[in-house]
Amino acid sequence: MKLKALALALAGLAGLATVGLQVAQAKDTVKIAFIGPLTGGSAAAGVGGRNSALLAVQQRNADPAAKYTYDLVVLDDECKPNVGVQVATKAASDRAITAGITHYCSAVGIATVDTYAKFKLPVVVWGAILPEITYGNDYKQIHRVNGTMINEGRLAAKFLTEQGAKTFVVIHDTTDYGKGQNKYFSEFLKPTGGEIVATFPVSPDQQDFTAELTRIKELKPDYVFVGGLTPLGVRVRSQMDRLGIDAHMAGVSGIMTSGFIEGAAQSSEGTVSFHNGAPLSRYASGQAFSDAYAKAGFREDPDAYGPFAYSAANLIMDAVEKVGPDRAKITEVLNGTKGYKALVGEINFDNHRQNIVDANVYVVQDGKWVYWPDSDYGTGKRKLAGK
Amino acid sequence: MRSTNLDAAIATGAPPQARSLPGTAAAILVPLAAFGALAGLLQVHEQWETGLLVLAFLAALVLLDRSRAGRSLAEACRTQSGIASTSAVLAALALLWTFREDHYSLLMVATVALYAVAGVGLNIQMAFGGIANFAAAAFFSIGAYTAAVLAGHTGLPHLLVLAAGGVVSALIGVVMLLPVLRTRGHYVALVTIAFGVLLRTLLEVNDTFGGPQGMKIPGFAPFGSDFGDVATIAGFDVSFYLPYALAAAALFALAFLAGRMLERSWVGIAMDAVRTDEIAASAFGLSPARWKATAFLTGNVLIGVAGALYGMMNGFVNPNGAGFGESLIMLSIIVLGGLGNFWGAIVAGAVIIILPEKLQSIQEYRLLIFAVVVIAILRFRPGGILPRPLRTLGRQQGGAS
Repeated sequence: MKLKALALALAGLAGLATVGLQVAQAKDTVKIAFIGPLTGGSAAAGVGGRNSALLAVQQRNADPAAKYTYDLVVLDDECKPNVGVQVATKAASDRAITAGITHYCSAVGIATVDTYAKFKLPVVVWGAILPEITYGNDYKQIHRVNGTMINEGRLAAKFLTEQGAKTFVVIHDTTDYGKGQNKYFSEFLKPTGGEIVATFPVSPDQQDFTAELTRIKELKPDYVFVGGLTPLGVRVRSQMDRLGIDAHMAGVSGIMTSGFIEGAAQSSEGTVSFHNGAPLSRYASGQAFSDAYAKAGFREDPDAYGPFAYSAANLIMDAVEKVGPDRAKITEVLNGTKGYKALVGEINFDNHRQNIVDANVYVVQDGKWVYWPDSDYGTGKRKLAGK
Repeated sequence: MRSTNLDAAIATGAPPQARSLPGTAAAILVPLAAFGALAGLLQVHEQWETGLLVLAFLAALVLLDRSRAGRSLAEACRTQSGIASTSAVLAALALLWTFREDHYSLLMVATVALYAVAGVGLNIQMAFGGIANFAAAAFFSIGAYTAAVLAGHTGLPHLLVLAAGGVVSALIGVVMLLPVLRTRGHYVALVTIAFGVLLRTLLEVNDTFGGPQGMKIPGFAPFGSDFGDVATIAGFDVSFYLPYALAAAALFALAFLAGRMLERSWVGIAMDAVRTDEIAASAFGLSPARWKATAFLTGNVLIGVAGALYGMMNGFVNPNGAGFGESLIMLSIIVLGGLGNFWGAIVAGAVIIILPEKLQSIQEYRLLIFAVVVIAILRFRPGGILPRPLRTLGRQQGGAS
């Protein structure tokens, strides 16, 4: 009798287990596209973003509570707008793809917004910082988790004038990036009372800045603001020292790389920069992300925007969990994102579905980019060299 | 050339291999097989399928070249070019109709067709006129920028906008004529490279044309009906890219005919003579400057028109598209396809534009595989996939090559 009961119980358990197994197997697969530059000059950022998004998907798939299995469809936009439109069409016209984590390069991001709107594919931009991607249209499908250069420019103007700087010279490259940085920095500087005494637009690959810097030496500004990428920053910084210009230098997120410190070596000390991302250690779950990333065995660094791609992936998957793989419903859920807890802090979309992000100040201290409040300069232990 | 052979065949009572029934069948089947392969490439999803298709393609190339049957197939297409072209047109239409609802495939096909139109223009410049143009993408972008300005800010009918894209591209080409005609060989290449860089920088720095962000372009609406809004044709649901793909194919057909007529006429002969030996050509009373200028400007018209339609299809243009890298892509299409052969531009366009897209799922390694395929093709066919056949000038039977 006892034996029979045991057998029955066992059989029941086995049956339950089978049912459970079937439920587990019956999970529907939801496809999400990831688009970024995996080849070419910006590949490091793209691959870092891809790995981070992949990590988010792997974690979700390992979670037994998830209602769906997720499949990340990775596409390469080569940082070229026309290739971007092709892959965007590919992803958006594929009915099996529910949403997209899209674009690092601004030129590609702005070229593809029409495509996503036309095919009604909700996307979350993870790296492109051109303001027009969200603010230049009113497409419900386009969201962005990372900040724009507006935030960087606003903080740069505010922070630098608070440091007591009054006169500025701007050197910017003539690409979208440099021009935009110049535009927003100048705009936000005006109300603070700071004055731009001269602006020098230069080609991104200009090597010699003697002419510009000689003029700057005469003007004696408090700060030289460089709106450009690392190579430009390195050249300006080291040539400033050679010509004995004692103004400080402030850069933008484009120079905030280890390449800048390697290139400008000693001269880099005390250079200030502004970036949308906070250091991973500043995020509540930053350490957990770093550990998981290392454990997943990716060979490449997550890079500055990896955490944003990771957050975008989770934001989308949470929306899918809530309303199922339906583009229209997901768009609605994403539109209404308020107070969403993500790796990169709280995500709040404004009326243009742009996440409200605060930029952060960094400074080079002893050959490292240090978060300003943590730095000796920020705590007042040291003073920036120069005047 | 091909048709010259056909003419010769008719005039002289047919060389034995030209009229045979198997020959005709081959002329019909080879284009069908080629488009079938293209449809296959567009259709495949799995990596191994793409790989298999690429291997089959390479094998077909080797067979065409190295086997007797392959050579006679190629010869049949060459001698019966009328039948082969008709078969190709029908196959292309069938392909477009099959993919009528597939946005992405149609976009790719239209892109290939438009690059092939630019390829025809570039062929006229390089293969006929002997002018190495390393700024094709710059002229392509000029066409697109023209479309952006005219279609976006004036009420000019869109067919005229297309034409204007070609005209403006040629007019700007006139500026370059002087240095292009003064220089030869590698130096022409340098002049055009410099022009491309100059144009790109100018577009980036100057805000009149949108600066680095470029400009938006309204969709192509030739007879008052915007292609972007097309959703059904004759009761069938279709992608809005179908009319674009059809227009691109029609443009290629026109460019092909124009290029072929030019090649067959005395203009083409004059260009060939000037390219082969300038001194000998001038001894025969041909002005090298005149024929080079003709080749350069005609080519620019075609490149500009293709660029205008491409811009309207994509809906935007920016200075990136005018870059040196893009020019090299266009150049590699005609070199890989075979200098001077217009069909080659289609085949190579498919390889260079569609193949990297199909290899997307191997992500950052795909350009490596793609490069290996290109090198393999050129290893087995150093003259390109479809090299230009020898021109036969005589109408005598012995003249056929």
